[in-house]
Amino acid sequence: MKSFGLRKETVLAYSFLIPILLFYIIFLVIPVVFSFVISLTEWGGFDLESMTFVGLDNYKKIFASDSTFLNPILTNTFVFAFGSVALSFIAAMTVSFLITRLRWQGLWRSIYFLPAVTTIVAIGNVWLYIYNPTNGILNEILTSVGLKPVNFLDNPSIALWAVIAVSGWLGIGGAVLILTAGLKGIPHDYYEAASLEGAGMWRQYFSITLPLLRPTILFVLITSFIGGLQSFTLTLVMTRTGGPGNSTNVGALEMYNQAFSFGNWGVASAMAFVLFVVIFIITMIQLIVFRKGGVESY
Amino acid sequence: MKLKRIPWISYLVILIGTVIMIFPFLDMIFSSFKSASEYSKLNYSLLPETFVFDNYRMAFEQLKLSMLFKNSIIRSLAITLLVLLTSSLGGYVLAKLRFPGKKLIFRFVLSTMMFPAFLFFIPNYYITVHFPLVGGNNIFGEGGYGGLAASMAGLIVPFAVSGFGIFLMRQFIMNIEDAYIESARIDGAGELRIFFQIILPMTVPALATLAIFEFIGSWNEFIWALLMNSVNNELATLPVGIQMLKSHLDPTLTQPLVMAGLVIATIPILILFLFLQKYYVRGMMNDGLK
Repeated sequence: MKSFGLRKETVLAYSFLIPILLFYIIFLVIPVVFSFVISLTEWGGFDLESMTFVGLDNYKKIFASDSTFLNPILTNTFVFAFGSVALSFIAAMTVSFLITRLRWQGLWRSIYFLPAVTTIVAIGNVWLYIYNPTNGILNEILTSVGLKPVNFLDNPSIALWAVIAVSGWLGIGGAVLILTAGLKGIPHDYYEAASLEGAGMWRQYFSITLPLLRPTILFVLITSFIGGLQSFTLTLVMTRTGGPGNSTNVGALEMYNQAFSFGNWGVASAMAFVLFVVIFIITMIQLIVFRKGGVESY
Repeated sequence: MKLKRIPWISYLVILIGTVIMIFPFLDMIFSSFKSASEYSKLNYSLLPETFVFDNYRMAFEQLKLSMLFKNSIIRSLAITLLVLLTSSLGGYVLAKLRFPGKKLIFRFVLSTMMFPAFLFFIPNYYITVHFPLVGGNNIFGEGGYGGLAASMAGLIVPFAVSGFGIFLMRQFIMNIEDAYIESARIDGAGELRIFFQIILPMTVPALATLAIFEFIGSWNEFIWALLMNSVNNELATLPVGIQMLKSHLDPTLTQPLVMAGLVIATIPILILFLFLQKYYVRGMMNDGLK
């Protein structure tokens, strides 16, 4: 595009970019700095004069030996992310493997994706009803086969897994979408050649499908794990404060409640930063793994 | 024939899966027609004894559903339009113009996608409520009645730019031949005209993907809308209004109403998704292969 002067082009580019850059300064750059400043203070979120600088006290509180943030909350966060990813991944591998050889592929894919385009408020409330100890369907099934009803969300040793099950169910559709795209990218010739050589279905799966799908699998696993570490809306809708006790509490939910239920903006911001650093480290590991694992253009 | 047996079992597995995926939606729809007494009685049944359509009428009254619906529509449309505009502008500049700092800005836009949303709730809540010179605030952002959150702007402005959107549009516009732009310039077309009359019409498929993506995303967004509602309860969207009602009233009386509200909040969006899923899926794929 030589017909156009570089200076004129620069002026044009920046005048188009001004609204975007302004937005990012106001709602991204300033907030990150501001958030770090808040994490060094004691503050209820009212006027700025009421901020008291306390240095690293909030971080010390978080890492203190009696802190609930490391255990159980951060442990729960990892269990939640691992559990949801494992559930949705295993289901999605099965579903995507099957639907690529069935008719109405698009229909099946859409059905499995429905929860992902539904507001979490609906998902959470409907599952509360399904888990209901007196008249939910799950307990109806349990009692009809002679088992005792289970208080899914009131029992501290089950509650976290009850939320994880919903989160895993929710994540199947997204993983199916990406995995089917990956499966379609494997050339059909490979399977034909393998059939001619007499390789059976399982042999083909382990020698062709899995190795060639590896980059896609890595992508699905790591991005949904990072998503799982950040997620808290479902837990908020289903258990409100992460109860009973802290048995379902996760990092981002604790941050949210510390700030907006208890008015401890300093501690909450420190928690946000700790969780952010954890996620940032995992994102960096992801980038390295992807480069080595052959996910293109990372 | 060994191969012929496989599809039969495959269909069975997929159908069982389908039931697990769809059942919660059926449960939601059918229980929205149950009477309060049936809803809270001891034994579960999927179908209501009698269909109580009154739940929907009462939901409209008690939930102020029409206000919630209006807020949700205005918010989702406004965010979608703003994101389409900013993404295509940003995408065009980053794809087709040469200027110093381009690489740096592009890297910055990419990196914005790595920041988790929870990091911004606290600072952006303060910034939105104390935004200078709006909602009665003075130039220091003080003295007003909610800043940006005094109006719908509080629900919309913090979502006006999307890093994903800019990236998607840049990738798409990169594939447009430079010759279109060059010949328009030779013909003396102004830069705004080149953008709006030549580039934009060629990006319609990408815009459609981004639009459906943003519309559904902002329709379903909950946490920020909940925070804005705590500043100004005129700003309640469908998910927020329904969740709030749930916590304020006697749950045994209102549960079927809540379900009726949820049906209204979700079913239109699900139908929209089913019609436009081709575009939506394309957006997801792009996200997956960025």
